[in-house]
Amino acid sequence: MVSLAPYVLKRPWLTKMLTPAANWYASAAGYRQLGLRYDDLLEEENEAVQIALKRLSAKESYERVYRIRRSVQCSYTHKLLPKDQWTKPEEDVPYLRSILAQVEAELAEKDALDSMTVIKKH
Amino acid sequence: MISRSALSRSAQQAARRSGVVPRRGFAAAAAAPTGSYETADINGLKVASKDTQGPTTTLAVVAKAGTRYQPLPGLTYGLEQFAFKTTQRRSALRIARESELLGGQLTASHTREALVIEASFLRDDLPYFAELLAEVVSQTKYTTHEFHEEIERILPYKKAAVNADVAGLALDNAHAVAFHSGLGAALNPSPSAPFNKYVNEEYVASFADVVYSKPNIAVVADGAGAQSLSKWVDQFFKGVPAAARSGQTLKTEATKYFGGEQRTSHASGNSVVIAFPGSDSTGSKPEIEVLATLLGAQPTIKWAPGFSLLSKATAGTPGVSVASANQAYSDAGLLTVQLTGAAASVRKAAEETVKALKNIAAGTVSKEDVAKAIANAKFNLLEKAQTRGSSVLLAGSGLVNNGKVQDLVALTKSLDAVTADKLKTTAKALLDGKATVSSVGDLFVLPYAEELGLRV
Repeated sequence: MVSLAPYVLKRPWLTKMLTPAANWYASAAGYRQLGLRYDDLLEEENEAVQIALKRLSAKESYERVYRIRRSVQCSYTHKLLPKDQWTKPEEDVPYLRSILAQVEAELAEKDALDSMTVIKKH
Repeated sequence: MISRSALSRSAQQAARRSGVVPRRGFAAAAAAPTGSYETADINGLKVASKDTQGPTTTLAVVAKAGTRYQPLPGLTYGLEQFAFKTTQRRSALRIARESELLGGQLTASHTREALVIEASFLRDDLPYFAELLAEVVSQTKYTTHEFHEEIERILPYKKAAVNADVAGLALDNAHAVAFHSGLGAALNPSPSAPFNKYVNEEYVASFADVVYSKPNIAVVADGAGAQSLSKWVDQFFKGVPAAARSGQTLKTEATKYFGGEQRTSHASGNSVVIAFPGSDSTGSKPEIEVLATLLGAQPTIKWAPGFSLLSKATAGTPGVSVASANQAYSDAGLLTVQLTGAAASVRKAAEETVKALKNIAAGTVSKEDVAKAIANAKFNLLEKAQTRGSSVLLAGSGLVNNGKVQDLVALTKSLDAVTADKLKTTAKALLDGKATVSSVGDLFVLPYAEELGLRV
């Protein structure tokens, strides 16, 4: 996936300019009103995410399931959560993405090692 | 494509600079292969090497981290399992694949006193493996997911294997009874002990921090020159701290012998261990070593019972195997006679063991048998010091415990000095003192120590 985020984050002035827009976009996306975090929306149906989910601590894993079930309930009843239960921007932290990046790096390394060509240098 | 070369850059450059490893044709005389280890001290790290001029090398880090020193049960096993796992610089998978490419073998094992992290490889690859071992010791990450996904996953199989090994259980119980804590700690995670209560990656990491410090480890190489080894160790082992970062120190207590009896019922075999206080690894009581071989040395000639008293006595009892040894540790020892086999035969052999000891104490053993036992004890000692795997462990333990490698000449001399009279008084003292008896198996048949005539 191509992302502009690293490019933007490298330039403080650009980051400063775009942050309000990004915050507006995140709350307009609507998942925070259902009590979810951004990482709850990641697609689960692949190997890397499955491994990453198993590496969550018991507490994090429980809370993730709780948030998802609560949001599904909201969706069934066509209601949003009361405003005090919305996810606050500072709560919306990447708890899964860092683990996922690590798992993906491991899988990529495994693939690379499985299909390597050995070049002898001596 | 392999994204990073198998050798890290520094190791590669260093290997190139070092030039060629000395090679020797068949006709050339060996450069005095003394057969004993040369020791050195490199920035506070103890190093021993023996150059056998062979094509392969074994390099090992021996740490004073055996089950005796673990602050919580199972930490030594945990630390052993974390060897060659992901480090700050590369992943466990990469370590495995790279050493495969170089044809190396990586093993980690532990005894009651030492933890051994070992690599065997072709002689030319010394820089790579020296760097790898240094990395394992000082830069392992101790990640949570490896603990759950790899170490915990194989734990049930390990426990099952430990539980199936009746002889191992009996020996373990004998140690527990003889020494209680310290040397008496279980060598392997036992099936019924709570493992997760005491072992997790954080505890293992803090144990590693205490254990992997310069005064607590020794680097031993068999098949590498002293010069090249010290050069690579100097270069790569810089990151090993001189003392634990947390400021904690290793908890060591002097060993005390207690003695007693333990009986455990078991469905899949029978084993009895009869044990007495023995000789430590510096050879404090050479007569115990001789007594061990006199009692139960394995026959050295095929299809013959051999000279030892027990193999002669049990020649008519089928299906029992006798093994006797002096289990030597840094500050204590345990003379063990282990009898394994069918329950009735084991019972008979146990009775014979006590009878044989009483015979020795009565002085009815022939001079010739004593001479054979001394020769056998000497051979066992020297062979252990020469064979690659055991010699690396011996040299490393000597270095970390006493600061020097075992003095074989003095040890063999002290064995030579053992007389029949000395054996007589020793056997008498053993029978008068407290014995250790551990039985595992069919307890309906296996005897109590009292029935055997031993004091516990």
